[in-house]
Amino acid sequence: MNSSPITTWEGAAAYFTFADNPTMMAIFCALAVAGFVGFMAAIIKHEKDAFDKHDD
Amino acid sequence: MTAEEMEALKAAFEMHQAMNVEVFYWWCTAIMFMIHAGFLAYEIGASRVKNALASGMKNILTLSVVIPTFYFFGWWIYNAFPGGLVPVDAAFALPWSTSMGPDVQDMGTGIFWAAFALFGATTGSIMSGAVIERIRLSAYLILTILVGSVVWILAGAWGWHPDGWLLLDLGYHDVGASGVVHAVAGFFSLGVLINLGPRIGKFVNGKAMAIVPHNLPMALIGLMMIIVGFFGFLGGCIIFNGGETGWTTIYGNPTNLSAFAFNTLMGFAGGVIGAYLTSREPFMTMSGGLAGIITVAAGLDLYYPGLTFVLAICGGLTMPLVGKMVEKAGIDDAVGAVAVHGWCGFLGVVLVGAFASGYPNTPEGAPEITLMGQFIGALVMAVTGFIPGYAVSLLLSKMNMLRVPSNVEEAGLDLVEIPAQPYPETVPARDIVEGTQPANENSLPANGALS
Repeated sequence: MNSSPITTWEGAAAYFTFADNPTMMAIFCALAVAGFVGFMAAIIKHEKDAFDKHDD
Repeated sequence: MTAEEMEALKAAFEMHQAMNVEVFYWWCTAIMFMIHAGFLAYEIGASRVKNALASGMKNILTLSVVIPTFYFFGWWIYNAFPGGLVPVDAAFALPWSTSMGPDVQDMGTGIFWAAFALFGATTGSIMSGAVIERIRLSAYLILTILVGSVVWILAGAWGWHPDGWLLLDLGYHDVGASGVVHAVAGFFSLGVLINLGPRIGKFVNGKAMAIVPHNLPMALIGLMMIIVGFFGFLGGCIIFNGGETGWTTIYGNPTNLSAFAFNTLMGFAGGVIGAYLTSREPFMTMSGGLAGIITVAAGLDLYYPGLTFVLAICGGLTMPLVGKMVEKAGIDDAVGAVAVHGWCGFLGVVLVGAFASGYPNTPEGAPEITLMGQFIGALVMAVTGFIPGYAVSLLLSKMNMLRVPSNVEEAGLDLVEIPAQPYPETVPARDIVEGTQPANENSLPANGALS
Protein backbone atom coordinates (compact mmCIF):
# COMPACT_ATOMS: atom_id res chain seq x y z
CA MET A 1 0.00 0.00 0.00
CA ASN A 2 1.38 3.41 -0.95
CA SER A 3 0.58 5.92 1.79
CA SER A 4 3.07 8.60 0.78
CA PRO A 5 1.44 11.96 0.03
CA ILE A 6 4.45 13.00 -2.04
CA THR A 7 6.27 11.53 -4.98
CA THR A 8 9.46 13.57 -4.57
CA TRP A 9 11.14 15.56 -1.79
CA GLU A 10 11.86 18.31 -4.28
CA GLY A 11 9.70 21.28 -3.25
CA ALA A 12 7.97 19.32 -0.47
CA ALA A 13 6.39 21.32 2.33
CA ALA A 14 3.75 20.01 4.77
CA TYR A 15 3.00 16.31 4.52
CA PHE A 16 0.53 14.56 6.79
CA THR A 17 0.85 10.84 6.38
CA PHE A 18 -2.56 9.15 6.09
CA ALA A 19 -4.18 12.56 6.50
CA ASP A 20 -3.29 14.43 3.35
CA ASN A 21 -6.87 15.33 2.56
CA PRO A 22 -9.62 16.99 4.63
CA THR A 23 -11.64 13.83 5.12
CA MET A 24 -8.81 11.75 6.49
CA MET A 25 -7.59 14.65 8.61
CA ALA A 26 -11.07 15.05 10.10
CA ILE A 27 -11.21 11.32 10.80
CA PHE A 28 -7.85 11.30 12.55
CA CYS A 29 -8.63 14.44 14.53
CA ALA A 30 -11.91 12.87 15.62
CA LEU A 31 -10.16 9.60 16.51
CA ALA A 32 -7.52 11.47 18.52
CA VAL A 33 -10.17 13.39 20.45
CA ALA A 34 -12.21 10.21 20.93
CA GLY A 35 -9.17 8.37 22.25
CA PHE A 36 -8.56 11.15 24.71
CA VAL A 37 -12.17 11.27 25.87
CA GLY A 38 -12.13 7.48 26.19
CA PHE A 39 -9.04 7.70 28.37
CA MET A 40 -10.77 10.19 30.66
CA ALA A 41 -13.86 7.98 30.82
CA ALA A 42 -11.69 4.98 31.70
CA ILE A 43 -10.14 6.87 34.60
CA ILE A 44 -13.55 7.88 35.93
CA LYS A 45 -14.77 4.28 35.63
CA HIS A 46 -11.66 2.90 37.32
CA GLU A 47 -12.11 5.30 40.22
CA LYS A 48 -15.76 4.40 40.64
CA ASP A 49 -15.04 0.67 40.50
CA ALA A 50 -12.15 0.98 42.97
CA PHE A 51 -14.17 3.03 45.41
CA ASP A 52 -17.17 0.68 45.15
CA LYS A 53 -14.92 -2.34 45.69
CA HIS A 54 -13.41 -0.70 48.75
CA ASP A 55 -16.90 -0.10 50.15
CA ASP A 56 -17.76 -3.80 49.84
CA MET B 1 33.96 35.23 -4.37
CA THR B 2 31.30 35.27 -7.05
CA ALA B 3 27.74 36.44 -6.50
CA GLU B 4 26.53 32.85 -6.81
CA GLU B 5 28.97 31.68 -4.16
CA MET B 6 27.86 34.51 -1.90
CA GLU B 7 24.23 33.49 -2.33
CA ALA B 8 25.07 29.88 -1.56
CA LEU B 9 27.00 30.93 1.50
CA LYS B 10 24.13 33.14 2.67
CA ALA B 11 21.62 30.33 2.17
CA ALA B 12 23.81 27.93 4.15
CA PHE B 13 24.22 30.49 6.93
CA GLU B 14 20.47 31.11 7.14
CA MET B 15 19.76 27.39 7.21
CA HIS B 16 22.20 26.86 10.07
CA GLN B 17 20.75 29.82 11.92
CA ALA B 18 17.26 28.35 11.59
CA MET B 19 18.59 24.99 12.76
CA ASN B 20 20.20 26.66 15.78
CA VAL B 21 16.85 28.17 16.72
CA GLU B 22 15.25 24.74 16.58
CA VAL B 23 18.08 23.15 18.52
CA PHE B 24 17.84 25.76 21.27
CA TYR B 25 14.12 25.26 21.89
CA TRP B 26 14.39 21.50 21.48
CA TRP B 27 16.77 21.35 24.43
CA CYS B 28 14.80 23.91 26.43
CA THR B 29 11.79 21.61 26.07
CA ALA B 30 13.84 18.59 27.08
CA ILE B 31 15.21 20.39 30.13
CA MET B 32 11.69 21.45 31.04
CA PHE B 33 10.82 17.78 31.42
CA MET B 34 13.09 17.94 34.45
CA ILE B 35 10.48 20.19 36.07
CA HIS B 36 8.04 17.33 35.84
CA ALA B 37 10.54 14.76 37.03
CA GLY B 38 11.10 17.11 39.97
CA PHE B 39 7.41 17.52 40.70
CA LEU B 40 7.06 13.75 40.53
CA ALA B 41 9.76 13.17 43.16
CA TYR B 42 8.72 16.13 45.26
CA GLU B 43 5.04 15.22 45.48
CA ILE B 44 5.68 11.54 46.09
CA GLY B 45 8.05 12.54 48.88
CA ALA B 46 5.64 15.10 50.32
CA SER B 47 2.81 12.56 50.50
CA ARG B 48 2.30 10.02 53.22
CA VAL B 49 3.27 6.47 52.29
CA LYS B 50 -0.35 5.47 51.81
CA ASN B 51 -0.70 8.01 48.97
CA ALA B 52 2.79 7.99 47.46
CA LEU B 53 1.99 6.33 44.14
CA ALA B 54 -1.36 8.07 43.69
CA SER B 55 0.43 11.40 44.00
CA GLY B 56 3.00 10.30 41.45
CA MET B 57 0.32 9.07 39.07
CA LYS B 58 -1.08 12.60 38.90
CA ASN B 59 2.27 13.93 37.77
CA ILE B 60 2.75 11.25 35.14
CA LEU B 61 -0.68 11.85 33.66
CA THR B 62 -0.39 15.63 33.77
CA LEU B 63 1.83 15.66 30.71
CA SER B 64 -0.33 13.11 28.92
CA VAL B 65 -3.43 15.30 29.12
CA VAL B 66 -1.92 18.74 28.63
CA ILE B 67 0.13 17.85 25.55
CA PRO B 68 -2.78 16.59 23.39
CA THR B 69 -5.24 19.23 24.58
CA PHE B 70 -2.66 21.91 23.94
CA TYR B 71 -2.44 20.50 20.42
CA PHE B 72 -6.23 20.34 20.02
CA PHE B 73 -6.98 23.88 21.22
CA GLY B 74 -4.31 25.43 23.49
CA TRP B 75 -2.09 26.79 20.74
CA TRP B 76 -5.13 28.17 18.96
CA ILE B 77 -6.22 30.01 22.14
CA TYR B 78 -2.83 31.72 22.36
CA ASN B 79 -3.06 32.96 18.81
CA ALA B 80 -6.78 33.75 18.76
CA PHE B 81 -7.31 35.73 21.97
CA PRO B 82 -4.63 38.43 22.34
CA GLY B 83 -7.29 41.13 22.32
CA GLY B 84 -9.42 39.75 25.15
CA LEU B 85 -12.27 37.29 24.94
CA VAL B 86 -13.23 37.77 21.28
CA PRO B 87 -11.20 35.50 18.99
CA VAL B 88 -9.38 36.70 15.92
CA ASP B 89 -8.61 34.51 12.95
CA ALA B 90 -5.95 31.98 13.95
CA ALA B 91 -6.83 29.05 11.72
CA PHE B 92 -3.13 28.36 11.24
CA ALA B 93 -2.98 27.16 14.87
CA LEU B 94 -5.79 24.60 14.59
CA PRO B 95 -4.90 20.88 14.43
CA TRP B 96 -5.89 20.59 10.77
CA SER B 97 -3.67 23.45 9.65
CA THR B 98 -0.59 22.63 7.57
CA SER B 99 1.43 24.47 10.25
CA MET B 100 0.53 21.88 12.85
CA GLY B 101 2.58 18.94 11.68
CA PRO B 102 5.69 17.95 9.77
CA ASP B 103 6.58 20.63 7.23
CA VAL B 104 10.09 20.65 5.83
CA GLN B 105 9.77 24.39 5.16
CA ASP B 106 8.56 25.39 8.63
CA MET B 107 11.38 25.42 11.16
CA GLY B 108 9.66 27.03 14.10
CA THR B 109 6.01 26.29 14.77
CA GLY B 110 6.46 22.83 16.24
CA ILE B 111 9.30 23.80 18.48
CA PHE B 112 7.46 26.84 19.89
CA TRP B 113 4.29 24.79 20.31
CA ALA B 114 6.30 22.21 22.27
CA ALA B 115 7.83 24.78 24.61
CA PHE B 116 4.44 26.36 25.28
CA ALA B 117 2.86 22.93 25.87
CA LEU B 118 5.47 22.28 28.55
CA PHE B 119 4.75 25.67 30.13
CA GLY B 120 1.12 24.53 30.28
CA ALA B 121 2.01 21.23 31.88
CA THR B 122 3.94 23.17 34.51
CA THR B 123 0.78 25.02 35.55
CA GLY B 124 -0.94 21.67 36.12
CA SER B 125 1.96 20.41 38.18
CA ILE B 126 1.88 23.56 40.29
CA MET B 127 -1.70 22.75 41.28
CA SER B 128 -0.91 19.06 41.62
CA GLY B 129 1.15 19.41 44.78
CA ALA B 130 -1.41 21.57 46.55
CA VAL B 131 -4.23 19.05 46.21
CA ILE B 132 -2.48 15.78 47.02
CA GLU B 133 -3.99 12.98 49.07
CA ARG B 134 -7.69 13.77 48.62
CA ILE B 135 -8.54 14.91 45.10
CA ARG B 136 -9.98 12.47 42.60
CA LEU B 137 -7.54 11.75 39.78
CA SER B 138 -10.24 12.41 37.20
CA ALA B 139 -11.13 15.78 38.73
CA TYR B 140 -7.47 16.71 38.91
CA LEU B 141 -6.99 15.91 35.24
CA ILE B 142 -10.07 17.92 34.20
CA LEU B 143 -8.76 20.89 36.19
CA THR B 144 -5.28 20.38 34.76
CA ILE B 145 -6.61 20.52 31.21
CA LEU B 146 -8.44 23.71 32.16
CA VAL B 147 -5.44 25.47 33.66
CA GLY B 148 -2.80 23.97 31.36
CA SER B 149 -4.49 24.26 27.98
CA VAL B 150 -7.02 27.07 28.48
CA VAL B 151 -6.55 29.44 31.41
CA TRP B 152 -2.82 30.10 31.49
CA ILE B 153 -2.56 30.30 27.72
CA LEU B 154 -5.42 32.81 27.65
CA ALA B 155 -3.45 34.87 30.18
CA GLY B 156 -0.38 34.27 28.00
CA ALA B 157 -2.23 35.62 24.96
CA TRP B 158 -3.02 38.78 26.92
CA GLY B 159 0.37 39.26 28.58
CA TRP B 160 2.90 37.58 26.30
CA HIS B 161 1.57 37.78 22.73
CA PRO B 162 2.97 40.72 20.69
CA ASP B 163 -0.65 41.87 20.18
CA GLY B 164 -1.70 41.13 23.77
CA TRP B 165 -3.95 43.80 25.25
CA LEU B 166 -2.02 43.91 28.52
CA LEU B 167 1.14 44.77 26.62
CA LEU B 168 -0.43 47.21 24.16
CA ASP B 169 -2.70 48.98 26.67
CA LEU B 170 -0.71 48.79 29.92
CA GLY B 171 2.89 48.14 28.91
CA TYR B 172 2.78 44.85 30.85
CA HIS B 173 6.22 43.27 31.30
CA ASP B 174 6.61 39.67 32.48
CA VAL B 175 9.51 38.06 30.62
CA GLY B 176 9.95 35.03 32.87
CA ALA B 177 6.24 34.27 33.39
CA SER B 178 5.88 35.35 37.02
CA GLY B 179 2.33 36.31 36.16
CA VAL B 180 1.20 34.33 33.13
CA VAL B 181 2.34 30.99 34.51
CA HIS B 182 3.00 31.22 38.26
CA ALA B 183 0.40 33.72 39.50
CA VAL B 184 -2.25 32.19 37.27
CA ALA B 185 -1.52 28.65 38.44
CA GLY B 186 -1.13 29.67 42.09
CA PHE B 187 -4.45 31.50 42.23
CA PHE B 188 -6.14 28.77 40.20
CA SER B 189 -4.92 26.34 42.89
CA LEU B 190 -6.32 28.59 45.62
CA GLY B 191 -9.75 28.51 43.98
CA VAL B 192 -9.62 24.70 43.80
CA LEU B 193 -8.38 24.33 47.39
CA ILE B 194 -11.30 26.35 48.77
CA ASN B 195 -13.78 23.87 47.31
CA LEU B 196 -11.66 20.78 47.84
CA GLY B 197 -11.23 21.29 51.58
CA PRO B 198 -8.40 20.12 53.82
CA ARG B 199 -7.14 16.58 54.24
CA ILE B 200 -8.75 14.62 57.05
CA GLY B 201 -6.78 15.38 60.20
CA LYS B 202 -5.20 18.57 58.92
CA PHE B 203 -7.28 20.77 61.19
CA VAL B 204 -8.31 19.61 64.67
CA ASN B 205 -10.63 21.97 66.51
CA GLY B 206 -9.57 24.68 64.10
CA LYS B 207 -5.88 24.20 64.80
CA ALA B 208 -3.59 23.27 61.92
CA MET B 209 -1.77 19.97 62.41
CA ALA B 210 1.46 18.94 60.69
CA ILE B 211 1.05 16.20 58.11
CA VAL B 212 4.66 15.37 57.50
CA PRO B 213 6.19 14.13 54.23
CA HIS B 214 6.99 10.42 54.25
CA ASN B 215 10.25 11.05 52.39
CA LEU B 216 11.57 14.55 52.89
CA PRO B 217 14.93 13.87 51.19
CA MET B 218 13.10 12.80 48.03
CA ALA B 219 10.99 15.96 48.19
CA LEU B 220 14.13 18.09 48.51
CA ILE B 221 15.80 16.40 45.56
CA GLY B 222 12.62 16.89 43.56
CA LEU B 223 12.65 20.59 44.33
CA MET B 224 16.25 20.85 43.18
CA MET B 225 15.30 19.04 39.96
CA ILE B 226 12.60 21.66 39.39
CA ILE B 227 15.28 24.33 39.66
CA VAL B 228 17.28 22.53 36.95
CA GLY B 229 14.16 22.45 34.81
CA PHE B 230 13.71 26.18 35.32
CA PHE B 231 16.73 26.80 33.12
CA GLY B 232 14.84 25.17 30.26
CA PHE B 233 11.70 27.06 31.22
CA LEU B 234 13.41 30.45 31.35
CA GLY B 235 15.43 29.70 28.24
CA GLY B 236 12.13 29.01 26.51
CA CYS B 237 10.93 32.47 27.56
CA ILE B 238 13.62 34.20 25.51
CA ILE B 239 13.40 34.60 21.73
CA PHE B 240 16.22 33.34 19.55
CA ASN B 241 15.88 35.47 16.42
CA GLY B 242 17.42 34.92 13.04
CA GLY B 243 19.20 37.63 11.10
CA GLU B 244 21.09 40.37 12.90
CA THR B 245 18.60 40.77 15.75
CA GLY B 246 19.96 38.18 18.14
CA TRP B 247 18.24 37.51 21.45
CA THR B 248 15.14 39.43 22.43
CA THR B 249 12.54 39.04 25.14
CA ILE B 250 9.11 37.80 24.16
CA TYR B 251 8.20 41.50 23.91
CA GLY B 252 10.87 42.19 21.32
CA ASN B 253 13.29 44.25 23.41
CA PRO B 254 16.96 43.24 23.25
CA THR B 255 18.31 40.96 25.95
CA ASN B 256 20.57 37.93 26.21
CA LEU B 257 21.14 34.73 28.16
CA SER B 258 23.83 36.46 30.20
CA ALA B 259 21.27 38.81 31.71
CA PHE B 260 19.02 35.84 32.47
CA ALA B 261 21.96 33.91 33.97
CA PHE B 262 22.98 36.69 36.36
CA ASN B 263 19.48 37.21 37.62
CA THR B 264 18.23 33.62 37.69
CA LEU B 265 21.13 32.53 39.88
CA MET B 266 20.95 35.57 42.14
CA GLY B 267 17.20 35.06 42.41
CA PHE B 268 17.65 31.45 43.44
CA ALA B 269 20.25 32.31 46.08
CA GLY B 270 18.26 35.21 47.49
CA GLY B 271 15.09 33.16 47.70
CA VAL B 272 16.81 30.34 49.58
CA ILE B 273 18.33 32.77 52.06
CA GLY B 274 15.05 34.58 52.62
CA ALA B 275 13.07 31.40 53.19
CA TYR B 276 15.72 30.05 55.55
CA LEU B 277 15.54 33.20 57.64
CA THR B 278 11.82 32.85 58.25
CA SER B 279 11.51 29.08 58.38
CA ARG B 280 14.81 27.33 59.35
CA GLU B 281 13.16 24.30 57.75
CA PRO B 282 14.59 22.41 54.74
CA PHE B 283 11.41 21.99 52.70
CA MET B 284 10.59 25.70 52.94
CA THR B 285 14.23 26.69 52.45
CA MET B 286 14.47 24.68 49.24
CA SER B 287 11.08 26.03 48.11
CA GLY B 288 12.62 29.45 48.70
CA GLY B 289 14.84 28.86 45.67
CA LEU B 290 11.72 28.59 43.54
CA ALA B 291 10.14 31.54 45.31
CA GLY B 292 13.21 33.67 44.66
CA ILE B 293 13.37 32.90 40.95
CA ILE B 294 9.63 33.44 40.53
CA THR B 295 9.82 36.75 42.41
CA VAL B 296 12.39 38.14 39.95
CA ALA B 297 11.38 36.25 36.80
CA ALA B 298 9.20 39.04 35.40
CA GLY B 299 12.20 41.38 35.26
CA LEU B 300 15.06 39.01 34.49
CA ASP B 301 16.09 41.17 31.54
CA LEU B 302 16.02 44.45 33.45
CA TYR B 303 17.31 44.10 37.02
CA TYR B 304 20.76 44.76 38.37
CA PRO B 305 21.81 41.45 40.00
CA GLY B 306 22.28 43.12 43.40
CA LEU B 307 18.70 44.34 43.24
CA THR B 308 17.59 40.90 42.09
CA PHE B 309 19.20 39.36 45.14
CA VAL B 310 17.44 41.75 47.51
CA LEU B 311 14.06 41.28 45.82
CA ALA B 312 14.46 37.51 45.88
CA ILE B 313 15.28 37.62 49.59
CA CYS B 314 12.02 39.53 50.08
CA GLY B 315 10.16 36.88 48.09
CA GLY B 316 11.78 34.09 50.07
CA LEU B 317 11.17 35.86 53.38
CA THR B 318 7.50 36.47 52.77
CA MET B 319 6.66 33.15 51.11
CA PRO B 320 6.53 31.04 54.32
CA LEU B 321 4.56 33.81 56.04
CA VAL B 322 1.98 33.83 53.26
CA GLY B 323 1.86 30.05 53.51
CA LYS B 324 1.05 30.38 57.21
CA MET B 325 -1.68 32.91 56.42
CA VAL B 326 -3.24 30.51 53.93
CA GLU B 327 -3.14 27.76 56.55
CA LYS B 328 -4.66 30.06 59.19
CA ALA B 329 -7.51 30.67 56.79
CA GLY B 330 -8.29 26.95 57.00
CA ILE B 331 -6.89 26.12 53.57
CA ASP B 332 -4.76 23.00 53.29
CA ASP B 333 -2.15 23.73 50.64
CA ALA B 334 0.02 20.64 51.08
CA VAL B 335 3.15 22.08 49.46
CA GLY B 336 2.71 25.84 49.67
CA ALA B 337 1.86 26.29 45.98
CA VAL B 338 -0.32 29.32 46.62
CA ALA B 339 2.49 31.07 48.50
CA VAL B 340 5.37 30.02 46.22
CA HIS B 341 3.65 30.49 42.86
CA GLY B 342 0.60 32.63 43.53
CA TRP B 343 2.09 35.15 45.94
CA CYS B 344 5.61 35.31 44.52
CA GLY B 345 4.27 35.41 40.95
CA PHE B 346 1.97 38.30 41.85
CA LEU B 347 4.75 40.05 43.74
CA GLY B 348 7.16 39.53 40.85
CA VAL B 349 4.92 41.31 38.36
CA VAL B 350 4.32 44.25 40.73
CA LEU B 351 8.03 44.58 41.54
CA VAL B 352 8.84 45.23 37.88
CA GLY B 353 6.54 48.23 38.12
CA ALA B 354 8.12 49.37 41.37
CA PHE B 355 11.75 49.03 40.27
CA ALA B 356 11.76 49.13 36.46
CA SER B 357 9.16 51.74 35.56
CA GLY B 358 9.94 53.85 32.54
CA TYR B 359 11.55 51.18 30.38
CA PRO B 360 10.18 51.49 26.85
CA ASN B 361 8.26 48.73 25.11
CA THR B 362 9.02 47.95 21.50
CA PRO B 363 5.58 47.30 19.88
CA GLU B 364 4.30 50.44 18.23
CA GLY B 365 1.96 52.33 20.51
CA ALA B 366 2.69 50.22 23.58
CA PRO B 367 3.19 52.39 26.68
CA GLU B 368 6.30 52.18 28.83
CA ILE B 369 6.41 50.03 31.95
CA THR B 370 4.53 51.60 34.87
CA LEU B 371 3.72 50.59 38.43
CA MET B 372 0.01 50.92 37.79
CA GLY B 373 0.22 48.88 34.61
CA GLN B 374 2.08 46.11 36.40
CA PHE B 375 -0.27 46.17 39.38
CA ILE B 376 -3.34 45.91 37.17
CA GLY B 377 -1.61 43.19 35.18
CA ALA B 378 -0.87 41.22 38.34
CA LEU B 379 -4.51 41.56 39.43
CA VAL B 380 -5.67 40.36 36.01
CA MET B 381 -3.43 37.30 36.33
CA ALA B 382 -4.69 36.49 39.83
CA VAL B 383 -8.36 36.88 38.88
CA THR B 384 -7.92 35.02 35.59
CA GLY B 385 -6.49 32.10 37.53
CA PHE B 386 -8.80 32.17 40.53
CA ILE B 387 -12.24 32.43 38.91
CA PRO B 388 -12.11 29.37 36.63
CA GLY B 389 -10.35 27.31 39.29
CA TYR B 390 -12.99 28.18 41.85
CA ALA B 391 -15.97 27.89 39.50
CA VAL B 392 -15.12 24.57 37.87
CA SER B 393 -14.00 22.93 41.13
CA LEU B 394 -17.26 24.12 42.73
CA LEU B 395 -19.18 22.51 39.89
CA LEU B 396 -17.22 19.26 40.28
CA SER B 397 -17.82 19.37 44.03
CA LYS B 398 -21.56 19.81 43.55
CA MET B 399 -21.52 16.79 41.24
CA ASN B 400 -19.60 14.82 43.88
CA MET B 401 -16.72 14.43 41.44
CA LEU B 402 -14.03 16.49 43.17
CA ARG B 403 -12.96 14.64 46.26
CA VAL B 404 -12.44 10.97 47.07
CA PRO B 405 -14.83 9.42 49.64
CA SER B 406 -13.67 9.84 53.24
CA ASN B 407 -13.22 6.10 53.80
CA VAL B 408 -10.94 5.95 50.75
CA GLU B 409 -8.96 8.94 51.97
CA GLU B 410 -8.48 7.34 55.37
CA ALA B 411 -7.42 4.01 53.89
CA GLY B 412 -5.07 5.66 51.44
CA LEU B 413 -5.42 6.12 47.70
CA ASP B 414 -2.69 3.63 46.84
CA LEU B 415 -4.46 0.80 48.60
CA VAL B 416 -7.79 1.52 46.92
CA GLU B 417 -7.02 2.53 43.35
CA ILE B 418 -3.37 1.85 42.51
CA PRO B 419 -2.50 -1.75 41.59
CA ALA B 420 1.05 -1.45 42.91
CA GLN B 421 2.93 -0.78 46.13
CA PRO B 422 5.58 1.91 46.60
CA TYR B 423 7.82 -0.05 48.94
CA PRO B 424 6.65 -3.67 48.82
CA GLU B 425 9.62 -5.11 50.70
CA THR B 426 9.57 -2.57 53.50
CA VAL B 427 6.27 -1.06 54.54
CA PRO B 428 3.15 -2.37 52.80
CA ALA B 429 0.62 0.46 52.59
CA ARG B 430 -2.04 -1.51 54.41
CA ASP B 431 0.25 -1.84 57.43
CA ILE B 432 0.62 1.85 57.97
CA VAL B 433 -2.98 2.87 57.51
CA GLU B 434 -4.28 4.24 60.73
CA GLY B 435 -6.11 1.68 62.82
CA THR B 436 -4.65 -1.40 61.17
CA GLN B 437 -1.96 -3.66 62.51
CA PRO B 438 1.39 -4.63 61.00
CA ALA B 439 1.27 -7.75 58.87
CA ASN B 440 4.20 -9.25 60.74
CA GLU B 441 6.76 -8.44 63.39
CA ASN B 442 9.21 -7.07 60.86
CA SER B 443 6.82 -4.40 59.67
CA LEU B 444 7.05 -0.95 61.13
CA PRO B 445 4.29 -0.05 63.59
CA ALA B 446 1.27 1.87 62.42
CA ASN B 447 2.14 5.00 64.30
CA GLY B 448 1.21 8.57 63.63
CA ALA B 449 4.67 9.48 62.42
CA LEU B 450 4.28 7.39 59.34
CA SER B 451 0.61 7.77 58.55
